[in-house]
Amino acid sequence: MSHEPVLTVENLSVTLDGVQILRDVSFSLQPGEALAVLGPNGAGKTVLFRALLGLLPHTGVVRWRQDTKIGYVPQRFSVDRSAPITAMEFFLLQSPSFWRPSAEFVAHLDHELTLVGLDRSVLRKNLAELSGGETQRLLLAWAMLEHPGVLLLDEPTAGVDAGFEENLYALLHRVQTERGTSLLLISHDLSVVYRYAQKVVCLNKSVVCQGAPVQVLNPEALATLYGESGYYHHEHGPAH
Amino acid sequence: MDSSYHASFWIALAVGIASGSVGPFIVLRRMALVGDALSHVALPGIALALVYSLDPFYGVIVFLIAAAFAIFWLEGRSRVPPDAIVGLLFTASLAIGILIIPNTEIVESLFGAFPTLSLPFLISILLTAVVLSALCFVLAKRFLFLIVSPDLAKVHGLGRKYDLALLVIFAMIVALGIKLVGTLLMGALTIIPAAIAKNISGSMRRYVIASAVLGGAISVSGVWLAETFHFLPGPSIVLLGVGLFVLSLPFTRRRAA
Repeated sequence: MSHEPVLTVENLSVTLDGVQILRDVSFSLQPGEALAVLGPNGAGKTVLFRALLGLLPHTGVVRWRQDTKIGYVPQRFSVDRSAPITAMEFFLLQSPSFWRPSAEFVAHLDHELTLVGLDRSVLRKNLAELSGGETQRLLLAWAMLEHPGVLLLDEPTAGVDAGFEENLYALLHRVQTERGTSLLLISHDLSVVYRYAQKVVCLNKSVVCQGAPVQVLNPEALATLYGESGYYHHEHGPAH
Repeated sequence: MDSSYHASFWIALAVGIASGSVGPFIVLRRMALVGDALSHVALPGIALALVYSLDPFYGVIVFLIAAAFAIFWLEGRSRVPPDAIVGLLFTASLAIGILIIPNTEIVESLFGAFPTLSLPFLISILLTAVVLSALCFVLAKRFLFLIVSPDLAKVHGLGRKYDLALLVIFAMIVALGIKLVGTLLMGALTIIPAAIAKNISGSMRRYVIASAVLGGAISVSGVWLAETFHFLPGPSIVLLGVGLFVLSLPFTRRRAA
């Protein structure tokens, strides 16, 4: 495996409508590494992801290793309730043939669905009929379908039950070790960051701290990140 | 039954299918009203062509494609509310067209007529309609991707050029049907089959196919009704479609979770 970083970010700044959202953000993501982006609401975490994906104008350098396939699980995903689009058709957007998918594609899809714990009967459902948890699992299976080199997950456990949350991180960990997938995830949950991330980037418009979670996530750094009242108790409490 | 009727029959079938094929994507992009208004832009095109003694079709196609580019440009600018501008621009076109087009031509321009066409011209209209319908099916995956999630589509390398492609295909289909259906009503023909098919379809693939079939069936039946009862073809097609839409309402599939 090459040691060239999967992603290199240097002095990334984003200004939207004259308001600076991100300032001089620099970090890198190594192959097979799980990097968590931590920060309070409004810190610019989602904006960072969108800039990395080229969805927002920015200055500075965002360099993906050549030929890196990116899987993206967005925080918000809503489909017009009246649109007759089935879950199967959502996956077919990634199939070479939309009208007549190959047996190979369908078999591979079945496999990825099993990984996220979805029954294949979900494929016949309308996309807008799925529950929050089903949608989140579906989005994850969708992002993993082409075996991307890196997965970007924007709060993947928002709106799902605690049981699935635990499964999800175990699954991500498996994908990371078995497929060598790099993970870039936004999380509010310090216990998840401690358990699964090799690196953390604390973000509040600019990078407040970065490094291995046990080294950089000290009370001072968290106080700076979240303000004096702090979120530090999260380490011991359940996710909200 | 004369050759004009036969020509109308074939145009209705081909343009009806093409309208039905593009309609679902316009409806799902919530552009039904913009699309409907777009057909009005054809009117100044007709007027200019008449002033220069050209076939109005050429004025129509130039003006409609220009309008498609204008909508695309407006959509790319988040600060401008496109609906207000589209509304103003398109009603202004209607007004300009009405002022310039001679009174003898005005009803035909607005509501369509059984057209008299040379055979080569008829064949080129039919072939273009077939190619545009096929394009809708070939590009369906990309159009749908941009509708379901523009962000995910962009991450997968789909650019806005497909949004532009959809608008240009749509504008060309509207142009093909304007002689028969008229500038005021042609936009409606692209929306009605899609609106009916959406009520009765459970999946996107069935939706596009149902809409294409309905587009052809409604247009051909409308032309037959117009010929039989001596109506104008445009209003006959549109009213038949709206009638079917009302009938489809009780069969609307429930999708609320």
